[in-house]
Order: sequence, then C-alpha cells, then structure tokens
Amino acid sequence: MRTREARLPGNYHDAVVKWRDTFIPDYDFLMDNWEKHFPKEPRFKLCAFRELGICNEIECGDDVGKPKITCPSDLGPDRARHLLGAIRAQASTEFGSIQQHRLTLARAQEETDQVWVLRMMAEELRHGYQMLHLLLEDDWSSVSDQTGPDLVEEILSMQTGSHVLGAFNIDFDSFVDNIVFCALIDRVGKYQLAMQRVSAYKPMAESMPKMLREEAFHLATGVVPMRRWATEAAEGDVYISMEMLQKAINKWLPRGLEMFGDERGGGSNVRMGFKPMKNAEAQDQYRAEVGKLVDDLNMRYLRARLPELGRNEADKLMEEIETERSTRHGVGWEDLIHLSHPHFFRRRGVPAFTMVGFEGETFEALDDYTAHLRRHLPESYLAGRDFRDYLETLKQVAAGELSAVDASRRMPSLRRVGGSCPCSRSVRWVSEEPLPAAADQPAS
Amino acid sequence: MQATTTDVQIRQLDTVDLGAVTTIDEKITGRYRPDEWERRVGYYLRRDPDAALVAEVDSEVVGFMLGEVRSGEFGLEEPTGWIEVLGVDPDRRGGAIGQRLAEALLDHFRVEGATTVRTLVDETMEDIAGFFSSLGFEPAPLRPFVKAL
Repeated sequence: MRTREARLPGNYHDAVVKWRDTFIPDYDFLMDNWEKHFPKEPRFKLCAFRELGICNEIECGDDVGKPKITCPSDLGPDRARHLLGAIRAQASTEFGSIQQHRLTLARAQEETDQVWVLRMMAEELRHGYQMLHLLLEDDWSSVSDQTGPDLVEEILSMQTGSHVLGAFNIDFDSFVDNIVFCALIDRVGKYQLAMQRVSAYKPMAESMPKMLREEAFHLATGVVPMRRWATEAAEGDVYISMEMLQKAINKWLPRGLEMFGDERGGGSNVRMGFKPMKNAEAQDQYRAEVGKLVDDLNMRYLRARLPELGRNEADKLMEEIETERSTRHGVGWEDLIHLSHPHFFRRRGVPAFTMVGFEGETFEALDDYTAHLRRHLPESYLAGRDFRDYLETLKQVAAGELSAVDASRRMPSLRRVGGSCPCSRSVRWVSEEPLPAAADQPAS
Repeated sequence: MQATTTDVQIRQLDTVDLGAVTTIDEKITGRYRPDEWERRVGYYLRRDPDAALVAEVDSEVVGFMLGEVRSGEFGLEEPTGWIEVLGVDPDRRGGAIGQRLAEALLDHFRVEGATTVRTLVDETMEDIAGFFSSLGFEPAPLRPFVKAL
C-alpha cells in the first residue's frame, strides 16, 4: 500500500500537539508502554496519510465516470460548501470524542482496556489531524468566508457541548461509556469513512483508507470488552451487569442513528458523488450490525450462564427465550440485551421529539414517557445536563410551544467556549449553523 | 448446501463476526473458545485489518482467514505474506470458500509488497496441506524447531 505522509505547517502541527497535551495527558504513558501492550507494532505517529493509487474516476452520483476532483475551486460552490461542512463535522467528531474519553479513562478497571482506549484516542487525534490537513493543504477561500486557519481555530476550540453532532456533546459518566461508545459510535464512524472512501473529492478519498484501518481497532476496543463483560455478568460479577450494558446501549444507540442524518436525506451526498448511500440505507445497515453485536453478547452471556450446554442446545434455548419471552434454565428474556426501537429517545430526524418507547410503543402523556425513559437510561446520565436539556425541550414540544423541527435545531445547546485552543487566546461563541431537520443535513 | 464460487462474498472481518468465527472454530475443533478468538481477532485487527477476511454466503459468515505481511525471521528478509489462520464451516466445505479467501488475501499481500506467501501446516493435517497444494503452494526448505517449556 503506497501512502504519502504529510505534516501540517509548523504552527498548526504545534497547536495540535498542544491540544494533545491538554486533552490526552496520558499520551507519554502510552508511548512509554507501547512495546509492552503492542509489541512489534508500528509506533503511533502524528501525521496525515494519503493513500496513493486510488480510483481516479468518480464512483457514484451525477458525474460518475468523470475524473475525481482535486481542487476545491473545481467543485463548484454548492458542492464545495457541502464538502466543507462534512470535513468540519468529521474533524469535530475526532477531536470531540477525545474530550469525552478523557473524562473517565482513569476509571478503567483493566490496564489493557485503558491502554487500548488511550491508543484509540491518539488515533482519533490523528484522524482530526488528517481533516485539518484537508482544510490547510488546499485553498478553500473561493468557496468559504472562513479561511483554513479560521476553520482550524474553530475546530480546536470546540468542547463537549459545542461540537457539530449530538453524540459528541454528551459527557461520559463511567468507563462503560468509553467502551460502549467505541462499539456503537465508532461503528457509525466506520460507515462514514467507508462511504467517503469513494468521495468525488480525491484528497478526501485518499484520506480514508488509513483511517478505516485504524477504525477497525477502535471497534475492537469496544466490542471485545463488552463481550468479556457479558461473560462476567453471567458469572455474577459485581462490577458489571447486562442491565448496565443495556442502559448504556440505550443511551448511545439513538445518537448513533442520528449521526447518519435525517432519514429522508442524503440524496445530495449521493448526487454530488461524496457518498454511495443515502442516510436511511446506511442507518438501516448500521442498526442491523448493532443487532448482530447484541445477539453475540447475548449468546456469550447464555453460554457463560449455562456452560454445560453445547452450541446447538444454546441456539435452541436462545430462540425459545427470545420468541416466547420466557425463562429457561433460570435465564429470562429480561436478562438479555435488546435493541431499542429506532424511534426511541430521538431528538433529530423523522422521529425527533416523538414520544416513542423502547419497543416502539407511543406515549401520550409526558410524565409517562419521562418515567419510561427513567427506567431505560443509566441513572448517572439522567442526572446530567444533556438529559435535562432534552427533557426541557421535549416539554416545550409536548406543550405545543415549540415545533419538533425547531427543537431539533436547538440540540445540542450552545456553550461559551474559549481558552482551549492553543493557537489562540480568543474567547468567543462558536455558532452552530442551523441543521436542517428535514433533509440532507450533514451526516458526518 | 454447497456454495458455488460466485455465491461467496469476501469482505474485511468485523468485530461483530466474532460470534460466527467462534462458532466455525467450535464446529471444527469441538471446543468453545470465545476468549481465544477475541484475543486473536484483536491482534490481527490492530496489525493489519485488511488481512483479516471473512467469506459470506447469503449474508452468513461461512469462513475466515487471518494473516499479515512481515519480514525479519531467520533467513526470510523479504516481505512475506503469512497465512496464519483459516477456518471454513464444515457444512459449507467444497464450495471454494477457502480458495476465494486465499485469493483475496494473496491479492492484499501483493499490494502490500510481498513477493512470497508462506504458511505452516502440521504434517498430520493432510486436508489442509492438500488445500494449500491445490493453490500452488509447495513444500519449502524451512525447518521448524520447537522446544517444550
């Protein structure tokens, strides 16, 4: 695989390093212990990688077969603005997830889990760096009022609460969030990167392969501990339970679904040649994959609970428990993990601010829905700012004081940011561009 | 039911395939070893996820192959693609699944700059040896050394 390695210009590279020192304070620990945890594996390197030799022709959309575009000014204003929004959102997610992970990283009970998350954080930093490289290597001045340096400053200034996508504005409450986030939200990242691998904008397409390879490890960082935890829960471990995993999935899955953008949208991305799938199609595939993960966790749990069962017996028993919602050999339907309805606890897209329950049931009374959410979400999350903001907004929608569309645009709430960007002393408001609730909102 | 070659889809292994990989191994060996496969898959996904492949028939995982390109073993300085793990669902054997996996992995090794591909097969596993022979592999003048600890 031939790749080109590149660094940001000196002051920007230094700004990212300073950002890293602020938000990944354990970076030196990772590098000092690299050989212990990842023997003979190439050491992490902060740089941008562009894959050479990728397809030269546009692979989807109206211009399929034409040469891929290499310069922003050749994109045309609409396409350039669209792409710039996607790069900005992608960069925001990369830096944003690090800010979330660092809050609870130290709470990991296993050193291996902690170091895997730490490596994943370093690689997310590299992904953000890769996006900044796209903004700085090319000249976007003909299509944007913001200069590359302005965009970089804005991105490095964002904090939890001011990122572009909702999932990156939610504080982690425990190390369970670190792990479930990797398994669920990084899986959305995998989809976005895989779709952008065919981007009509060649520098974007060239940026994806290395990021995708790293993303595979990020998913393992979440899935492998979750599988182990399912076993430990079955063995009666006091530290984890299937209920805890279920509630953490309930917290993150709706945000993951929303990261694909409005279910009615995505057509522009396809027409413009930036992605091969519309939002709903990608969202459906994603949810099916999460379903496979959940099935897998349940089987891991069942076989740890009943180790005397063979594979065929376990399969049969699982089917009985799931279809009959019954209890067999002491394992009940409620002991297993289930996927929430795609409209459950949504704040963007088609079902935004509709009161749909875990199994798709609808609620008329706000109090009933609140009680339902209380039963299905982690306690620590209920006590946080994100849930309060959601509930306050839902109250206004339920009272007819706010439309669901306007409510969607209000999430996430703005926060004053400042002082976090190492390349600036400025303190200013990061303005959220209103995201269309109806169609074609950026999905990444 | 046996799959024809064209039914088989090859794609990169994903962590959601861990259950399927564990099941195939259990069908072959009779042992349920989820921990072992979590460790192995974690290793290969870190090192080279493009060299961790699964075969699907009708969206069901029916085989997998894991490998990597490395160099530096005694006397083997050139970049070498190593096929290290292969599993095909016994119910699906005869459908060219292993062959399709090997072809895809060898393509990847070529892209990675490998000029040779190697694997190690226990002398008692004649069916595996036969499989690699059918792909054009030949016995190599490489002597394995082993010591019990």
